[in-house]
Amino acid sequence: MEADVTVIGSGPAGLAAALHADYSGAKNVLLLEREEELGGILKQCIHNGFGLQQFKIDYTGPEYAERLIEEIEKTNVRHFLNTMVIALSPDRTITAVNPKRGVFQIKSKSVVLAMGCRERARGSINIPGTRPSGVYTAGVAQRFVNIDGYLPGKEIVILGSGDIGLIMARRLTLEGAQVKGVYEIMNYPGGLRRNIVQCLNDFNIPLYLSHTVTEIRGKDRVEGVVVSRVDEKMQPIGGSEQFIACDTLLLSVGLIPENELSKEAGIGLSSITKGPISTETMETAVPGVFSCGNVSTVFDLVDYVAETGMTAGRNAARFAAGGWKKEKNSVEIIPGENVRVLFPQRYSFEDDLILFIRSAKPVERPVRIDISPLEIHFKKLYSRPNEMIKLKVPKDKLKGTTKSIEVHITER
Amino acid sequence: MDVEKKHFTCVICPIGCEIDVELQGSDVVSMTGDKCARGKEFVLQELEEPMRILTTTVRIKGAKWAMLPVRTDKPIPKRLLFRVIKELADIELQAPVKVSDAIIKDIAGTDVNIIATRNMKREKKDKFV
Repeated sequence: MEADVTVIGSGPAGLAAALHADYSGAKNVLLLEREEELGGILKQCIHNGFGLQQFKIDYTGPEYAERLIEEIEKTNVRHFLNTMVIALSPDRTITAVNPKRGVFQIKSKSVVLAMGCRERARGSINIPGTRPSGVYTAGVAQRFVNIDGYLPGKEIVILGSGDIGLIMARRLTLEGAQVKGVYEIMNYPGGLRRNIVQCLNDFNIPLYLSHTVTEIRGKDRVEGVVVSRVDEKMQPIGGSEQFIACDTLLLSVGLIPENELSKEAGIGLSSITKGPISTETMETAVPGVFSCGNVSTVFDLVDYVAETGMTAGRNAARFAAGGWKKEKNSVEIIPGENVRVLFPQRYSFEDDLILFIRSAKPVERPVRIDISPLEIHFKKLYSRPNEMIKLKVPKDKLKGTTKSIEVHITER
Repeated sequence: MDVEKKHFTCVICPIGCEIDVELQGSDVVSMTGDKCARGKEFVLQELEEPMRILTTTVRIKGAKWAMLPVRTDKPIPKRLLFRVIKELADIELQAPVKVSDAIIKDIAGTDVNIIATRNMKREKKDKFV
């Protein structure tokens, strides 16, 4: 089988990429989805707050997905459901499998990676204790409640204050469970401020900062957890242990881009974002392979995920049409002072540079963001690690740059 | 009369202003920390009657999935959230349902409708069972 642009994954990034590949003139666009319907994780994110920046409408996850799916249906994009991609080679040959076709290959002129991310689980953080049932990641609990209609437990402790954990604290409370508390190892919350207010404060659910779970107890089912305070090096403080009786522990302890396919294709990954090293066009180190959304770096807003999808789709269409310079001049973009995450990692002088920045530590005072050595500055009222900063540096200001670009956040 | 102090975190935009209010009875004596008019409006609404959009699920038969996601089409008073949830617990819908369809009108006497937030087709039998 042949295609101009093949998009792997149909969450918000993949849907946006497929749409914009079509809008940019690609004739034969193929969208591959391993589940039985389009939309990815949006389908289980039934809360609102999606698309506020992109559409100026407060959608729920399913409504946001329906809007993009409706758009897809008006185009010539073809989609295959129940289709799992099992291999990708650097010459952009995709090997996939589905119940109808068996194992099949697609030779695609360009490829967009949009596989999203997965949750870190108990094994990634090594919580000591027994191994009873009742330990779930927040996203698995979300699927149980919102799609399958099962309540995972009645007395719940949540470890980690990422957005999915906060959303689930509210959701489980509404469905009749008792959420005993949210415990966060850092000394600031992981999720967005509005979620702390609307999901915890509204329901009097306590948030304990600088705390972690140091033991899980229970034989067949969770009977409780031991929580401890941690010091500034995030080490548990002896003597601060406290036993909390519960039947369920939810983990909301971070997301990791899903890059098994990318690795196999020899695409270089960033040790910071854990996603493909990309330019502002979303092209990875392998020509013609583009990457977008949470497989590139974990975003906190769907609007940003979709924006990178649009860029990837548009450029994948350009690549497929030919005339794309394969050996491009590009410079590195390096995280400097108080910058933990920076995306993209390279600039190739094709488009404006849209930078996504996550600061290393919270600063609740006015800050200045310097793009050096270009003498370009931005001012912000604060920098918070749980709120990604988006900046646009116009193409003409970057012309003639030969050295690497550095990004620094300092107090004004 | 004693001055009562209240604290709010504004949720209108991502800045999340920390707003302190001093009240005498129901009169606002002072407000500090609000960076814009929308923050002020938010606090006044919170003082009068906190309003929230409710998103939840209801049971559905004849569809691929057990639950249909729904929402209130307007914010409802926060104090009514659990009452609405309870009313919805007894409801079972039949597929097909279209996104934005009003599933229940005038829930709990609020003049607010419960609407579906996705399409759900009628399915014969789950082919993967």
